[in-house]
Amino acid sequence: MAIYVAKRVGLAILSVWGIITIVFFLTKLIPGDAARVAAGRTATADQIAQARERLGLDKPVLEQYADFLARAVRGDLGQSASTHQNVVTDLSQTVPVTLQLVLVAMLFTIVIAVPLGTLAAALRDKAPDVAARILFVLSGGVPVFWLAILLQWLFASNLGWFPISGSNAFGAAPPDVTGFTLVDSAIAGDPAAFADSFEHLVLPALALSAPFLSTVARNVRSNLIGALDTDYVAFAVSKGAKPFRVVVHHGLRSTFGSTLTIIGMQLGWMMGAALLVETVFALPGIGVYLNQAVLNQDTFAVLGCVLVIGVVFTVASLVVDLIQIGTDPRVRASYTTGATA
Amino acid sequence: MTSLTRNPGAEPEPALEPEPGPERSRLLEPAAEAERESIDAEFVPAGTRGYRRVNEWLTPAGLGAGISRGLRGLFGRRAPIVDRIAIVIVLALVVVAIIGPFIAPYDPYLAQPVDALLPPSAAHWMGTDDAGRDVLSRLLTGAGTTLLAAIAVVVLTTVIGVVVASIAALSPRAVDTVIMRVCDIAMALPAMVLALGIAAALGPSLGSVVVAMVIAMWPGTTRLVRGILRVTMSSAYVESARVTGVSKAGLLARHVLPNSMDSVYVQASMEISGAIVLMAGLAYLGVGAPPPSADWGAMVAQGREYITTAWWVTTFPGLAITIAAIAFGLLGDAIRVRLDPSLRRR
Repeated sequence: MAIYVAKRVGLAILSVWGIITIVFFLTKLIPGDAARVAAGRTATADQIAQARERLGLDKPVLEQYADFLARAVRGDLGQSASTHQNVVTDLSQTVPVTLQLVLVAMLFTIVIAVPLGTLAAALRDKAPDVAARILFVLSGGVPVFWLAILLQWLFASNLGWFPISGSNAFGAAPPDVTGFTLVDSAIAGDPAAFADSFEHLVLPALALSAPFLSTVARNVRSNLIGALDTDYVAFAVSKGAKPFRVVVHHGLRSTFGSTLTIIGMQLGWMMGAALLVETVFALPGIGVYLNQAVLNQDTFAVLGCVLVIGVVFTVASLVVDLIQIGTDPRVRASYTTGATA
Repeated sequence: MTSLTRNPGAEPEPALEPEPGPERSRLLEPAAEAERESIDAEFVPAGTRGYRRVNEWLTPAGLGAGISRGLRGLFGRRAPIVDRIAIVIVLALVVVAIIGPFIAPYDPYLAQPVDALLPPSAAHWMGTDDAGRDVLSRLLTGAGTTLLAAIAVVVLTTVIGVVVASIAALSPRAVDTVIMRVCDIAMALPAMVLALGIAAALGPSLGSVVVAMVIAMWPGTTRLVRGILRVTMSSAYVESARVTGVSKAGLLARHVLPNSMDSVYVQASMEISGAIVLMAGLAYLGVGAPPPSADWGAMVAQGREYITTAWWVTTFPGLAITIAAIAFGLLGDAIRVRLDPSLRRR
């Protein structure tokens, strides 16, 4: 058992290295002179040459790659060409903002999608099912950024139910400890700051969860329908189990694994979609930072962001796999008997 | 949906058919196919034969026949209303994409500051934007590029996906594993992020967005196609062909690929909706076609600052993107259900 966990962790590390390698060479392949951008628009040839040396761009590509990896292992991701700060410093300020948004959005996704998908499956082809399916289709097709703009316009500008943008109202921000405003206000024991932080998260998280909600809900619905057709469910019904218990205890339980897998993958993809939502709601997260870095050809900043997003994705799928090994006897059996399912 | 009268006895199961050996004359096949086609058209309701009739889908003529058969099924009296709405919207979008620039009531690029931010009226059905350009005219003009680019992305990723997945399927197990592992790794990065980086580096143009999206999306498609091929390869008739001594390449070309293509086409039609949304997102971030162009995503971005005073500038383009994405998604879903009768119950 421990061997399989170790193998899985090793694979995860290999994946992160693979991501970094692919993106590093992509940044070298694409046209454009990072040194020229870093030196600024009015730079002389001398200044550009200096910037090139400072960024290590005068060395052979393979040496740059080795340098980058060697420093990354020690926790140094280089200096951003646009903010002139260490990329790690920049990331430590921006990542918590995005991660908090993504986690709250995922919470919304689960809280909305699982009950809706369950309801749709339990009342298949009845009115609630049709209504839920229309909702899934709508939320799956709507562009995140447009939904974000509409939500902001309707619920913030017009109705005033939620703040328009930012992470906190002026003066209401909790003292910065972790960067997660919800955690910080909890540490400070400040319920007003907690409420303020949460209010600022509702609309962005709702917009971000829309497309993902659709996938999760459809998955729950179709898996649950399959599960409700099985013999063991028929047996539970004939035993006289209450409908609620049949659906939730017997049916929903068997869909847990595939739902978890989808949620794990979505966590990483949400980091990408968060970019659009952060732009609309002026949240100082990794998405806005990455967008700037890309437009400025700020190689080290781009690589740092990619590293973080890749790590989030990899860790999420690692955790999902470990949970499944821990909770699903079928998966555990497939690992311990040596067969890779 | 379940009321379709199926006719399972109309054709022998492919697994029981003698596999055509390499020595069999290929000249006989089109005639035989045509005969089968005419018999089928008489006795079997359209759309119920998906898995058995896909061989012809590989040729352009066969693809056309397949599409028209699918359309007949979708338009038929028994087709669900949602499917019919989806196909009508998709057809309308295609028509608009082709004739849009010609029916646009105003010049989509001519700035007329006097008319800036006019609300929807009889003269401007969807109002005007901050430069006084008619929003409806811009939407109609932008439809072609938006749809064409999305379809181009999906066609290219699908072709790459099928080729790479076939190579993986033919290669020794180790090579197969490496190819799939690379796809896994590439999928760990959101397509949005990868495409943004590449598109930004290539410079603002529609072409660079298409290239960037293809680079970002092919690993996902390849994985899906590899999965489809794996499922087909495990069917009994492929196994029996293998037993009769058909080579691995012959197996793939003659049996596995033809019988996998319907799933691939369904996948592709669903991906169009994802491509539309992704491309709109990229345009929104400013890496799409350069400013004066009437890209839908860019129109949403451009109208954003005026949302409080002029909601129409950003609302209508966003609505257009949503409707297009949903219609293509529903169409893919409808075709999938139609091709796979086992899904109809669900």
